[in-house]
Amino acid sequence: MRSRWAFILLAVVGAALAALFVARLAPSSSNASSHREAPLISEDPTADNTDLYAFRSPDKPNTLTIVSNWIPGEDPAAGPNYYAFSQSARYNIFVDRNGDGRPDVTYTFRFKTPTGPFFLGNTQQTWQMWRNNRGFANGKTPIDNVGPRFNGFVGVKDYEAAAEKEIVTKRGIRIFAGQRDDPFYADVGAIFDLVAIRKAGTTGNMGGGKDFLSGYNVHTIALQIPISQLDTPSHTIGIWANTERQNVTVNGKVRPGWTQVSRLGNPLINEVVIPTGLKDLWNRTTPAQDEQFAKYYKTPILAAVLNKLYKLGVPETDRDDLVAVLGTGIPKVTFTGSHFADELRINLAVPVTPPGKVSRMGVLGGDNAGFPNGRRLGDDIVDIEEQAVAGFLKGKKVPLGDGVNANDVPNLGHFPYVAAPHSGYENAKATR
Amino acid sequence: MRTRLLVLIAVLAGAAGGALYGGVFRDSTSPASAALAGAQASEDFKAGFSLSRSTASLVADLQSRLRANPKDEHSYTLLGLAYQQRARETGDPSWYSRSEGMLRRALALDAKDYLAVSGLGSLALSRHRFRDALVLGRQARALNPYSARPYGVVGDALVELGRYGEAFRAFDTMNRLRPSLSSYARVSYGRELIGRTAAAIRAMKLAVDAASGAAEPTAWTHVQLGKLYFNHGRIAAAEREYRFALRIFPGYPYGLDALASALAARGAYRQAIAAERSAVDAIPLPQYVAALGDLYRVTGRPALARRQYALIGAIERLLRANGVRTDLEIALFQVDHGIALRHALARARLARSERPSIDGDDVLAWALARNGHCAEALPYSRRALRLGTQDALKFFHRGYIERCLAHERAAATWLRRALSLNPHFSLLWAPAARRWVG
Repeated sequence: MRSRWAFILLAVVGAALAALFVARLAPSSSNASSHREAPLISEDPTADNTDLYAFRSPDKPNTLTIVSNWIPGEDPAAGPNYYAFSQSARYNIFVDRNGDGRPDVTYTFRFKTPTGPFFLGNTQQTWQMWRNNRGFANGKTPIDNVGPRFNGFVGVKDYEAAAEKEIVTKRGIRIFAGQRDDPFYADVGAIFDLVAIRKAGTTGNMGGGKDFLSGYNVHTIALQIPISQLDTPSHTIGIWANTERQNVTVNGKVRPGWTQVSRLGNPLINEVVIPTGLKDLWNRTTPAQDEQFAKYYKTPILAAVLNKLYKLGVPETDRDDLVAVLGTGIPKVTFTGSHFADELRINLAVPVTPPGKVSRMGVLGGDNAGFPNGRRLGDDIVDIEEQAVAGFLKGKKVPLGDGVNANDVPNLGHFPYVAAPHSGYENAKATR
Repeated sequence: MRTRLLVLIAVLAGAAGGALYGGVFRDSTSPASAALAGAQASEDFKAGFSLSRSTASLVADLQSRLRANPKDEHSYTLLGLAYQQRARETGDPSWYSRSEGMLRRALALDAKDYLAVSGLGSLALSRHRFRDALVLGRQARALNPYSARPYGVVGDALVELGRYGEAFRAFDTMNRLRPSLSSYARVSYGRELIGRTAAAIRAMKLAVDAASGAAEPTAWTHVQLGKLYFNHGRIAAAEREYRFALRIFPGYPYGLDALASALAARGAYRQAIAAERSAVDAIPLPQYVAALGDLYRVTGRPALARRQYALIGAIERLLRANGVRTDLEIALFQVDHGIALRHALARARLARSERPSIDGDDVLAWALARNGHCAEALPYSRRALRLGTQDALKFFHRGYIERCLAHERAAATWLRRALSLNPHFSLLWAPAARRWVG
């Protein structure tokens, strides 16, 4: 549900501090004899969907790769509090094959952290996977990439080789879960210091930006699924991911269920489209019930902001173009019917674009194998979304962008495609 | 990049962007902040941890934004909340008054800001004005029925007002809307209150799991979990949790105070005093100061103990001047220590009328008993135990009252229950309980 917009926006407002502050609001040191001040705000990074990708595998075009990431902004050097999937949450990836906003195939993961000799440092978790609620596979995550000495100490000489050894193949599906590099990129670096409003001299899509997210890791679940297992007559499917946590009650008499606490289909939606008061609701809602939010796609707040600032003449209302692309699919490419649902749609019949012809701007750049037809790791979401909101699909082409056009490290050419996690020892951020 | 910068700066500047930024920030689950909090927490860890520096710079940042744009409603809200955090970090209650000022200015600009209303609610909770908190929490809930957060304010207030059924329903709803550290911790507390200890521990473990990522919330939940163990005599398990908390979050006063009690329980008084003193040095809260005094007292240093006890009056006056009611806490302290017992009883009566919870009942029962009004005390003690709470101190108070009424068998039963639940329930009173049961 996040997307880096939240990240970016927060950064602007001195967010490192703001965020810290929010987290710190949680505990109260005062515990007067009887009144217990429970946390005001709780952060829940392990249940936080950061990004979702879906693309035909470039090296195995008869398969679809889905990459779903959790836990934003993992600092590789954050020991001794290493990152891991939550042991009490349920992680799901859903595939909707008939455009009704309901899952037709569900892949569910749960994780366990073994107790070990290292303080909070035993990050090799075991996982169990279910397909449509039936046990399907199990495996282990690699350890977090702490550093060569620690890795060596626990018997990991070549991190990437050891990580890829944990890939499990079951009934044609390849499965990986564990820490990886955060493939998302966006520039927020300069913003921290900015005091005054700068006049726009350029429009920003000409490079010169810095990837604020370079050097950070995430936790990834990656699936490589034979297209034959998912294909439909229209060849288009919709994908989303979520995280659920268990309900508990005080007296325990109610049969506890699960509440979805985070979801992600298209990037940016919760941050840029959904109004403040409805964000909790949006996070609890499934795509099948998304109709109630369609009006906010139709009049995006960001369009109004762009106009207020730059008088770009961005259309602020009747944005059926955005409603269509995000809610029902790109006409003739990923259209899944009239049911409005926030899903990452991909037409499985669109061929993989050869490496030399890939455009980071995806469909906007004339490359139909990229966002919003699915989403590849390298697609430039910030630039695409800015230009789309500015009215690209209505013929209003404003070359907006953030000046960062690629991830800080190259993505891999093979499954799981996401680059190896940055090691804490090397701590790339410190030398950046 | 420029353009987005400008977009973002505009957001900063308020205007339509205020909503956008607000949208991000007000989302109680704001993921980006978690990201940054995680990163920042590790910075803190490396820097040897400086809690106040960070919030202090946030305060400075918000203040400079407000100088640039005095109509930036959301910044007033955030500053109001930041001031509450400062109060917690420093123990200086004057931040509460400042917090209130900021939140009211925010509401003057936008009367429908549920975060500001909810902030006033949490402020009222901090000041122990539970009736006000209830009204504010309900107001915030009406402004945003989709958010889990106001249910926490409402439920907390109801607990202190002794309206447990409604309180637990609020906690249940909060958890259904948003299972999270906050709601798991509250459900755990509810379970603890009705005596479902094992279930309370399970819920707190879920809170620990949901807190992972940012250091202090994680540490907080470990301390809470440790306290659940401690209250049931599982001292080693408690100490392990406290040490976890302090490892995740070095120098955490709340963890140090808890650790001191575990150390004292196993007779490591010198270390206990060092830990409690560090807690007091960081945040001179009355309960930490009293605990340090007690540690001096039981280790045979009455002069040092008295010096700590004497501080409490001054701290209380400071709290009172900033709107914080501490009658219940001070009454308990006075009754425990035999200070101004008649005055303490009057306070306990007042406190209970403000706070008709099982704690209000218990402290009043204890104050009555220590003033010799044991027959009058008994029904209050019964009320204090009416939920089935497994609380050794309340059991002890009941035993004391029964003993005072010459109900020898009942007295022995309650005193034994207290001691078997947690032989270390009180530095001052557990030894007396042991003496009386022979």
